Amino acid sequence: MLAVLQKEFRTYFLTPLGYIFMGFFLLISGFFFALNNLFPASSNLAALLGSLTSMFMFVVPILTMRLLSEETRQKTDQLLLTSPLKVTEIVVGKYLAAVAVFLITILITGIYPAILRIHGFISISEVLGGYIGFFLLGSCFIAVGLFVSALTDNQVSAAVITFSSLLFMWIMDAVQQVLPNDTNSGVIFACLILFALAFLVHHAVKNLYVTALTAFAGSLVIGSIYAINKSLYDGIIIKIFDWFSLLKRYDGFSSGLLNVSSIIYYLSFITAFIFLTVQLIEKRRWN
Amino acid sequence: MIQVENITKHYGQHVAVDQLNFTVKKGEILGFLGPNGAGKSTTMNIITGYLSATSGTVKVDGMDILEYPEEAKAKIGYLPEFPPLYTEMTVSEYLDFVSAIKKVTPAAKKASLEKIMDLVKIGDVRGRLIKNLSKGYKQRVGLAQALIGNPQVLILDEPTVGLDPKQIIEIRNLIQQLGQEHTIILSSHILPEVSAVCERVIIINRGRIVAGDTPENLSKSLAASSKLLLRVGGASEAVLPVLQKIAGIKFVEVQGVRETGTTDILVEAEKDKDIRRPIFKALSQAELPILMMRSLDLTLEEIFLQVTTQQQEVS
Repeated sequence: MLAVLQKEFRTYFLTPLGYIFMGFFLLISGFFFALNNLFPASSNLAALLGSLTSMFMFVVPILTMRLLSEETRQKTDQLLLTSPLKVTEIVVGKYLAAVAVFLITILITGIYPAILRIHGFISISEVLGGYIGFFLLGSCFIAVGLFVSALTDNQVSAAVITFSSLLFMWIMDAVQQVLPNDTNSGVIFACLILFALAFLVHHAVKNLYVTALTAFAGSLVIGSIYAINKSLYDGIIIKIFDWFSLLKRYDGFSSGLLNVSSIIYYLSFITAFIFLTVQLIEKRRWN
Repeated sequence: MIQVENITKHYGQHVAVDQLNFTVKKGEILGFLGPNGAGKSTTMNIITGYLSATSGTVKVDGMDILEYPEEAKAKIGYLPEFPPLYTEMTVSEYLDFVSAIKKVTPAAKKASLEKIMDLVKIGDVRGRLIKNLSKGYKQRVGLAQALIGNPQVLILDEPTVGLDPKQIIEIRNLIQQLGQEHTIILSSHILPEVSAVCERVIIINRGRIVAGDTPENLSKSLAASSKLLLRVGGASEAVLPVLQKIAGIKFVEVQGVRETGTTDILVEAEKDKDIRRPIFKALSQAELPILMMRSLDLTLEEIFLQVTTQQQEVS
């Protein structure tokens, strides 16, 4: 795993991609720093990091687009997959290399709080919390990008799909504000989830009885909750979207709060995408 | 050393490899012959664990490639059809990386890399970027990669494709040299290569084994009857009646006149009959001197065409 990590990390700087990522990210962050903090003489670093999160959409695809797609295209995946390495080692190695480049880049932005510290007061805990959240959020997006790059052997498609997926997450955050929050739509939403679940179960086991049983048990649960406490369905759609939203969880960090459940959610999100990537590569062998 | 049992690979409806069965003994060089698209690369990808067979098992040194992937893969060095090179690295960076993923200890690495670079003659380009190398050098770097970790089994998919004749001879000699210590499976659609290097040949077509033996036995067994080409000093009207009287001759055909005053004649004997002596005696009694007598064994090319086209007629 270490060998893959090292190789991948070096490749970032043997190809222009590492420099493009760092250069672009630092340029934009410097620009935001000047606009947000230097000119208005504000020491609010959390606001800076918050506005930088929207940059992920543009810079994460640069970092992840060639991770796995280029291996498939150059057929070097034959070398990796026929070596005594496990697929998980390969994928995790590559992921960590991308995260390392990202980490180094945000460590460089550490000079911003240092500059602010010279000329004014900043809360160390708030800065640290903001940075930890920022790092975790970025790492989640990198995991998404990693997964996407395993889907295709074309770097440009990988970049475009990653960009669209991240953009979609942003749009969902905006859209969910106008989602219906009354009881009936909550019930319908629950039914839709149940329907999707039943479909997944059917796809996995291909047995009509099991599917029917799942659907029946699910509708029983939905029905009984409706009978016992109707108000649980109020605004449930927004609650669920909020819970799953990566960006919403970031808000807590920027006020200096280290929320354990958010950290665990981020880490699970990363693990899930790495797992999916490994599964995707394993599955490709069987096609 | 390698046991391939009943492997079948489907790509959707298409059957790339169909019920393939063979074993390779330790130290053997096996040639894998077949037209393009016969399933050679697919089979090799399955043996090395890059692809999984739809059904069937592959064992390397008794270890199933799916059940014990790490152990089995550590025993294999693989040169795929397209050498898997990271073109933005230099040769030595690349070989260092391959040593690391093949878990060669740093202590053993230096000496073994020197030996390998010496063997495939890439020492002089070690500092150059792989993308700037010629096709021949790239192929050799690919071969070097397969040799790292001193695997017992080498699987080489068309190792001489794209090389110039001199390099082809070098690589062939190298493969023969490697065959002394390694078990090798080599694929090719170039026949002289296989007959020059391999002890045993498997011809596959449309995913099935259509023939398998030593190159010599293959030409013998497939030559259903032996053919002789004669050049006799005499007109065909004089020669033909003499030949037709000899027992055991199936077929006589005049090929024409290449040299004035002689006739070229093709004679086909019945199976397993040596008719050279009767021909000599009969013609010398008739005072027709034999100027040339040459047996026409099937070359590997002809065998190859014969078995691959026969199969097409059947299916």
